[in-house]
Amino acid sequence: MPAGGEAAAAASLAEAEDAALRLRGDTATSQGRLVARRFLAHKAAMASVAVFAAIAVLAFTSIGFAGIPGWWDKSYTLAATVVDGGRPTLSLVPGWLGGEGLRWGEHPFGQDSTGKDYFALVMRGTQQSITIALVVGTVATVIGSVVGAVAGYFRGWVDSVLMRITDLVIVIPLLVLAAVLGKIAGGSGNVLVLALVLGLVTWTGLARLVRGEVLSLREREFVSAAEAMGARASRIIFRHLLPNTVGVIAVNATFAVAGAILLETSLSYLGFGVRAPDSSLGLLISQYQSAFTTRPWLFWWPGMTILAVALSVNFIGDGLRDAFDPRQSRAARRKGRTRP
Amino acid sequence: MLRFILRRLGASAAILLGASLLLYVLMVNAGDPLKDLRESNASNRDELIRQRIGFMGLDQPWYQRYWTWLAGVAKCVTLNCDLGTNRSGVEVSSLLANAAGSTLRLVVLATVLAAVLGIAVGVLTAVRQYSGLDYSVTFLTFLFFSLPVFWAAVLLKEYLAIGYNDWIANPAFTPAQTAVSALLFGFVMQVVLAGSRTRRLATFAASAAFVALVLPYLQWLNFFRYPQLGFGGVVVLSLAVALSATATSAGLRNKLVLYPVLATVLAGAIAYWATFGLMENPTWGTLALLLAAAVAVPVVLGRVLGGHLRGRATGAGLATALAMAGLTTLDHIFRAWPGFLSLKPRPISTIGSQTPNFGGTFWESFLDRGAQLLLPTLLLALISLASYSRYTRASMLEVGRQDYIRTARAKGLGERTVILKHALRNALIPIATIMAFDFAGLIGGAVVTEAVFGWKGMGELFRTGLDQVDPAPVMAFFLVTGTAAVLFNMLADILYAILDPRIRV
Amino acid sequence: MSSAEGPDTRTALRFEGVDVFFDAEFSEVHAVKGFSLEVKRGEVVALVGESGSGKSAIATAAMGLLPANARVAGRIQVGGTDVLGLDEARLRRMRASNIAMVFQEPMTALNPVLTVGDQLTEALELHGIAHGKAADRRAAELLGMVGIPDPHQRLRQYPHQFSGGQRQRIVIAMAISCGPRVIIADEPTTALDVTVQAEILDLLRELKDKLDTGILLITHNMGVVADLADRVAVMFQGRVVEAGTVRDVLTRPEHAYTRTLLAAVPHLGRSGPQAAALPAGGGVAGRDAAGGDAAAGETVRQPVLRARGLAVEYTARGRAFRAVEDISFEVAAGEILGLVGESGSGKSTIAKVVLGLLPVASGELMVHGQNLAALKGRSARAARARIGAVFQDPAASLNPRFPIGECIVEPMVVHGKGNRRSRAERAYDLLDAVRLPRSVVNRYPHELSGGQRQRVSIARALALDPELLVADEPTSALDVSVQAAVLEMFAELQSRYEFACLFVSHDLAVVDMLAHSVLVMRNGRTVEQGPAARVLHEPRQDYTRRLLAAAPVPEPGEQRRRREARRALLAEQPAP
Repeated sequence: MPAGGEAAAAASLAEAEDAALRLRGDTATSQGRLVARRFLAHKAAMASVAVFAAIAVLAFTSIGFAGIPGWWDKSYTLAATVVDGGRPTLSLVPGWLGGEGLRWGEHPFGQDSTGKDYFALVMRGTQQSITIALVVGTVATVIGSVVGAVAGYFRGWVDSVLMRITDLVIVIPLLVLAAVLGKIAGGSGNVLVLALVLGLVTWTGLARLVRGEVLSLREREFVSAAEAMGARASRIIFRHLLPNTVGVIAVNATFAVAGAILLETSLSYLGFGVRAPDSSLGLLISQYQSAFTTRPWLFWWPGMTILAVALSVNFIGDGLRDAFDPRQSRAARRKGRTRP
Repeated sequence: MLRFILRRLGASAAILLGASLLLYVLMVNAGDPLKDLRESNASNRDELIRQRIGFMGLDQPWYQRYWTWLAGVAKCVTLNCDLGTNRSGVEVSSLLANAAGSTLRLVVLATVLAAVLGIAVGVLTAVRQYSGLDYSVTFLTFLFFSLPVFWAAVLLKEYLAIGYNDWIANPAFTPAQTAVSALLFGFVMQVVLAGSRTRRLATFAASAAFVALVLPYLQWLNFFRYPQLGFGGVVVLSLAVALSATATSAGLRNKLVLYPVLATVLAGAIAYWATFGLMENPTWGTLALLLAAAVAVPVVLGRVLGGHLRGRATGAGLATALAMAGLTTLDHIFRAWPGFLSLKPRPISTIGSQTPNFGGTFWESFLDRGAQLLLPTLLLALISLASYSRYTRASMLEVGRQDYIRTARAKGLGERTVILKHALRNALIPIATIMAFDFAGLIGGAVVTEAVFGWKGMGELFRTGLDQVDPAPVMAFFLVTGTAAVLFNMLADILYAILDPRIRV
Repeated sequence: MSSAEGPDTRTALRFEGVDVFFDAEFSEVHAVKGFSLEVKRGEVVALVGESGSGKSAIATAAMGLLPANARVAGRIQVGGTDVLGLDEARLRRMRASNIAMVFQEPMTALNPVLTVGDQLTEALELHGIAHGKAADRRAAELLGMVGIPDPHQRLRQYPHQFSGGQRQRIVIAMAISCGPRVIIADEPTTALDVTVQAEILDLLRELKDKLDTGILLITHNMGVVADLADRVAVMFQGRVVEAGTVRDVLTRPEHAYTRTLLAAVPHLGRSGPQAAALPAGGGVAGRDAAGGDAAAGETVRQPVLRARGLAVEYTARGRAFRAVEDISFEVAAGEILGLVGESGSGKSTIAKVVLGLLPVASGELMVHGQNLAALKGRSARAARARIGAVFQDPAASLNPRFPIGECIVEPMVVHGKGNRRSRAERAYDLLDAVRLPRSVVNRYPHELSGGQRQRVSIARALALDPELLVADEPTSALDVSVQAAVLEMFAELQSRYEFACLFVSHDLAVVDMLAHSVLVMRNGRTVEQGPAARVLHEPRQDYTRRLLAAAPVPEPGEQRRRREARRALLAEQPAP
């Protein structure tokens, strides 16, 4: 309590509180601002944002996207002569440390067996993975939160029907359902169709979480107050309930994105996702896993890229969780601990 | 309770039915099952097409085919399943029988392993919130979450399997390897055991010294090719377990617990020799019987000798007896190891679920399957372990904030009792449900794992079925995984009721 | 105990210049400042204060159970041993055997997955008092001692199989199980109904005499202090502002804060001016009127709200059960009807039905001649505009994502009234009316205190000038002085805007102060109804009498007389 509270100490609690309120500055802090402040203080999450942004920028600007040309001059579809066994020309060890100096070179990530530039292939794969993951994440989040909120708000038969549908999707292993849909959609050669279809089967987890959250939120009195003043269901769901589940939604949306990256790569690995001649990180690993001993770079680059993207997205999710739910936050605790 | 279970069962059956219809419709629309034949230029092409249309029933509309499939499944009630034929006319039920065994073995083992370890790690990290251990485990779990299974599998094959196989041919440690292992072990131990700075240093020094001495000694014994425990080893280790179980449950000076526990060790020592011949080449049946005996003996001893502390005496005795049974089994496995190595010089192979035409005794083929199972189980378990430990940690932290935990502390209970007795049971309640839901996902993960390790399991059945747009094997796959998911859900419900009296009474 | 001051073997708990600091997320809070107090065996010392006074921090500090982000300085002694700086193991041995605690929330203080017997014997075995069968016997004995019938059978039951009052008895049994020198009771009766509260207070009084235990009673309720305590210390914002015997402090308070606090306590029997200005006829369609017709037809008053033979049903696990049965009442403009009863009486259910949150199972519910139960769709929503609502929990009644201004004018938005400018104007007017600064419009609910949020709720309820206001326990979660301010404001607004009001409360004194007429409920049925003065001062039903007798008043002498009277009443009319 600020000093003003003490000054009014002799009076009563009510007066002290009002005095404190008057004394406060004019800046109001919304929940969103508090969350942002905590998120920005989360070191791992901020580093992950930087890593993810760097990878995304590299992937989308290097070989270009959607017809816009990039700064990298080689194509991921063009075969060429294999130079130096397709070895990567990238070197990060400076000369004075006994390395070959900082060098980008002709084929930084090397070449595959037909001489295609591997950097371009990996960048293309990264583009595909990020695109698919973001679309899947968005579609799944929208469907999941609406289904969950509607089921949780209306309860009764609406809830039963929606939750049985959710169970129906859950009881088929996700990878199986995704593989079958991927087989249907992947044939079109359009990754957006694949992404939309995957989004249609990955919303179930979020729907359950949001439903649970809404079931407890709707017992809160501000929802009763809105009902009592005659607000429509749509207003209650979209103005009162969903904004208050934004923490759960945001955190799980990031985890859904990370999950989608892994799902897409798994599908492509099994041959039910992105198919040649297009490129995907999973497809690259599937094609070159047997080359591990002879040409390990063909295996390491796509794998490390998946790992880096998925890991950074997961850490962003963790940072969001800490920011939205400060009870478990490390930042808050650490601050408490450093004091004498 | 029974009505509740029956109702859940009914609902689950309806969901399975709906899901099977959904999957069937999707499968029928997954492509052209005759594509390869249409494009082929074999001379008997038309004959082949006609044949496949016959096997797959393509002359009927899809709903009729679904109905036929459903009717066939309904026969399972009389234990006479008819799951149709695949596109080449092979009975799917016979394919499934071979496939299901190895896959379920993999998935169940991985789940159990992941659950036990995941909960343990979760509890530990919750207790040590914001410690070095917590941060390391958190980082590792995120790493495992983000790991593409198929990519990690290749790494495991390369470094663990091939590396180990090369090493076991002539097991030796260079001094540098010994030193690094010792330092690493010491570091990990001090992180896990924690404490003040001096305690950490002591832990580090003791563990590092232990490894630095033991590794060369084991090498000198040629332990890695001829491992041995022997009667002496079994008894000494069992005594250690017995004494620590007594110490933690009632204190070493408490005769009412100490005597029955020591009596258990004595009984175990006698049983070691009595069962020696039997254990050299047992069957699963005899093993189960012996396990039952290992449970019965300490229970009887604890009840008879435990007096008013019979509950604790039984518990400590049971822990001792199980440890002793495990050690005795391990002793026999050790004895079988040299024979196994001569039969299979490169023990961990990376293809298939068992070595074809593998002869050998019970323990030798046990070792063979174990070695084949090792990598896929490890992989599958690591990923679920990561999520279980996170759930457990979050759940434990949540429970730790409850009023009744404060009440327990206010009674003067020690941290161990507060955590294991008061917190953990409550924290497990939500975890039970989460695990059941995870099971279906794990089976999905098994599809990828099997693909990487070349198992002829259910994943294979599914993949080829989907590739060839052949619904029968895919539906058979779903039948098993769906039923397993439903069963696991039910298990979770029952577990839920056991854990939570508010549902039970 | 230090030798210089001379050992006093009767001293059970002693605080000397204790300071407690908490590290919060963005600042440090000095929760307790230089606190000193002594509790002797067989003595009850009350620690009184409102939220933020630091009284609960004292309790947890004495138990050594403060959270990791807290820091304590000073000296705390339990039976002569210093608690601060004691190592964990010695501290643990001291808990339960020397110092025990009774918590506020009986519903959550017991572990839901362990049997009551297990939780009781645990401490007995740990402190080596009894083992095995003997421990079970002792546990049953303890349960019997705290008045739980059939103790041997009930040992095997789980907490959820006991009522709230019984659970608090179990917590007390647990606290006395190892014969502590002192028990810290942190708001032990706050979560309980008045009649149960009276029983628990009797139990504590009986036990401390029998066991010669000291009690540090932490409470905000002056009535409880008057009933049980020997001495009292009043805390405000971390400091003790006044201490002394209960008689001195409660009857001749010296410090201004103590005086405000005592003045703020609603006192049963000193009813407000409104009761006197009660319109003839009582504003109540009595039970006879509900059945007959003559009385209702002749009144000129037009009731804003009228219920006849109202029944409400809940469905739980497919089975319907009647939460409310055959309730009839009327409220006219400018009148306040108090609905009183204990938990489970159905009083809040009625509020929910009037607010349209629950359906009417049978009977009539008329608002200005329209049957609410029969309205559908658009007209049902339009009817909502004429009814305002104020709820109990200040922490939950405002959407945390809406700024205060938006919260207040939400009814206008919902019903499409006004434009942006006129809504902003209205928000300012309403803030003036509830005496909050206009700058609050841009703030968020979490930046306001509980009392301020309840005032915002009232402003929101008045946004559309409703003819009827439903207030469901609007002040029961507030501190006494804050409650007094809110109630005063409420009464003033009611006389200014002349809305009819349905006021639900468990606190008879509050209803006595505010309401014109009263309806006493029990188990979903009417016990007694009529003008407030009549029902609360000349009750005709036994239940009403028991309810009135159980509510403690903040005057030790009067409270002792009331206690004796209640005993006599119970002896002559045993509670069913």
